[in-house]
Amino acid sequence: MTVVACLKWVIPRVDDDDRFAGISAADQSALEFALLSARPGEDVVAVSAGPLGAERALRDAVACGLSRAIRIDLDPRASSSAVASSIASAVAGARLVWCGDYSLDRGTGSMPGFLAARLGIGQALGLIDVTIGDDSMSVVRRLDGARREIMRVTGPAVLSVEGSTARLRRASLRGVLAADNAIIDVIAGMSSPIDAVDEKPYRPRARALAAPSGTSALDRVRSLTDAGTATQRSETVVLDPPEAAARIVGALRDWGYLG
Amino acid sequence: MNRPDANDADVIVVGAGPAGSCAAIAAARAGRRVILIERGPFPGSKNMYGGVVYPRILDELVPRWWETAPVQRWVVRRSTMILSETGALSVDYRSNAWGQPPYNGATAYRPDFDEWLSRQAVAAGAQLVTSTTVTGLLRDASGRVVGVRTDRPDGDLTASVVIACDGVNSFLAKEAGLYSATDPSNFTLGVKETLALPKHVIDERFGVRDDQGVDIEILGGTSGVNGGGFVYTNLDTIALGVVLKLPKLAAQKKRPEEIIATLKAHPAIAPLIEGAEVKEYSAHVIPEAGYSMMPTMVTDGMVVAGDAAALCLAAGIWLEGVNFAMASGMCAGEAAAAAVARNDVSAKGLAPYTDKLNATFVLRDHKKLRKVPGLVLSDRVQQRYPAFVTSVVERVFRVDNPQPKPGLRRIVRQERKRAGIKLSELIRDGWTGLRGFG
Repeated sequence: MTVVACLKWVIPRVDDDDRFAGISAADQSALEFALLSARPGEDVVAVSAGPLGAERALRDAVACGLSRAIRIDLDPRASSSAVASSIASAVAGARLVWCGDYSLDRGTGSMPGFLAARLGIGQALGLIDVTIGDDSMSVVRRLDGARREIMRVTGPAVLSVEGSTARLRRASLRGVLAADNAIIDVIAGMSSPIDAVDEKPYRPRARALAAPSGTSALDRVRSLTDAGTATQRSETVVLDPPEAAARIVGALRDWGYLG
Repeated sequence: MNRPDANDADVIVVGAGPAGSCAAIAAARAGRRVILIERGPFPGSKNMYGGVVYPRILDELVPRWWETAPVQRWVVRRSTMILSETGALSVDYRSNAWGQPPYNGATAYRPDFDEWLSRQAVAAGAQLVTSTTVTGLLRDASGRVVGVRTDRPDGDLTASVVIACDGVNSFLAKEAGLYSATDPSNFTLGVKETLALPKHVIDERFGVRDDQGVDIEILGGTSGVNGGGFVYTNLDTIALGVVLKLPKLAAQKKRPEEIIATLKAHPAIAPLIEGAEVKEYSAHVIPEAGYSMMPTMVTDGMVVAGDAAALCLAAGIWLEGVNFAMASGMCAGEAAAAAVARNDVSAKGLAPYTDKLNATFVLRDHKKLRKVPGLVLSDRVQQRYPAFVTSVVERVFRVDNPQPKPGLRRIVRQERKRAGIKLSELIRDGWTGLRGFG
């Protein structure tokens, strides 16, 4: 069986200076989890779809202890769907496929979903916590409205993680020296049955916020920051459960949390 | 002695600046296994240099280097400017021949230049390891340097020779005991702003075109702190800054950014940079005392080159460092490779490195000019002479009709007295300068 880490190599500057290129913190977390989740005897493989420069990121990954690395020769502007198709053909049969939740260029974030569909395996995306057990993993997924979903992963799956979930280990010096001469497998990219014809840059959606109250600028700043307002002092009371519940509901209503 | 073939490399070079890359090129071309270690994510990434590179020494290492080296502008105008509070006297020389092959000096962004030079080392066969900091030396039972320790896990590397090119604060040279006690008066603080202007504006203001550039070295203009200033033209930026003698800076309790601001406001400088946008602000320590502060260059299993060996020439009209670094690196690489081939990497076996330095401009220039850095940074040259010279010129060119023109000797005598300069001091300093520059 194989555990895979998918890495997106990005030049984050408009002048195409690849000295500043790299992978996102989320991809680094994915790489660390790939290394941590591999069982004894399992191969850990890094895959990156991109130009020749992407091999630098793959060598850095190999230096961290990977078994091998694959570069899929693909235009960096290829759609997530095309990238997923190409990666799927390269890593078919993998037990776990780890991806970053976002890339350095803040793409659409849809590649892991496409990849799970192409591989025909489950997906757990946008993970903010991962606990690796012997036979399964417990993962926490971020949902809208500050909600969380706790899941257990037992079978083959694509997992995408946020950058804060793990810190990539520092490669050993021996690893770095060996990675310099490591052979990177290069395979041709595939076209996709579904292709985006246009892709807009990352733009967070605008939110309507009420203007702060107050007639003067100082009042409005105070209103925004709550500066100078009396803070609610905590209070300890000892009551029977029904009375305690009523007291809590009353306090929440007073503070404006209930209608 | 450990077996050379059991080592990780024949030569480890610490620091992929100009000295380190040239050392790696020379040693790798001699057939040695070379590992070049750089702490930054790429060579030059930690650099703040803003000056003129004189790459003549590269003729030997990288033939026709000018065809591939990342150069901003070829310097065709060299100007030495003496500033008083409001006056300025410039000696300006232009040579269009310097703007044609094989060229003379060039302004360059060192992140580009160092990265390019390190690629020549890799092409020669050296293995470049980045994002790795060397934290110390490895020694055998006899005390001989046998490798380095890095900040990576499993990070010890062994080699027959270590070439320390780890910059002005060379921790390796200090750890090896090659330096005596550090004297702050041997160092200056270089502070630089990179100011952006459109290329055509720079061309117009500095009287150049295409890829022609200007180098202005300034005496005075440092708000009473001993040191100097500089202005260099890049393609669409200007590097402007000051170098400040550390003890004076500390004693006068002045902030470097305030001194730069004062220099930028000087009537001779302000029109050159008007409307420019500050893109970078950076600072670095420079070893400026020359020959008198140099360490022992060689010990068992190790040599030291570049800024780490204090090979920076600050002699007033000549401010050079990168060429000395490249040449010393090349000599170090050649000597290390030859010592490995002879299987004698003791201090005696590595002594040809010092011999090479002595035989070339590297130490010959430094020895000849050994008293000049002290003279240039003295209070007289820094404070009184600029005031004296600019006052003399001011009076010579001022027309005070109906008064007749005064005699030049009289003006010089009066202004010398006004500046508080004794004739004996003037003669002594003139003699020191003559012996150095002559």
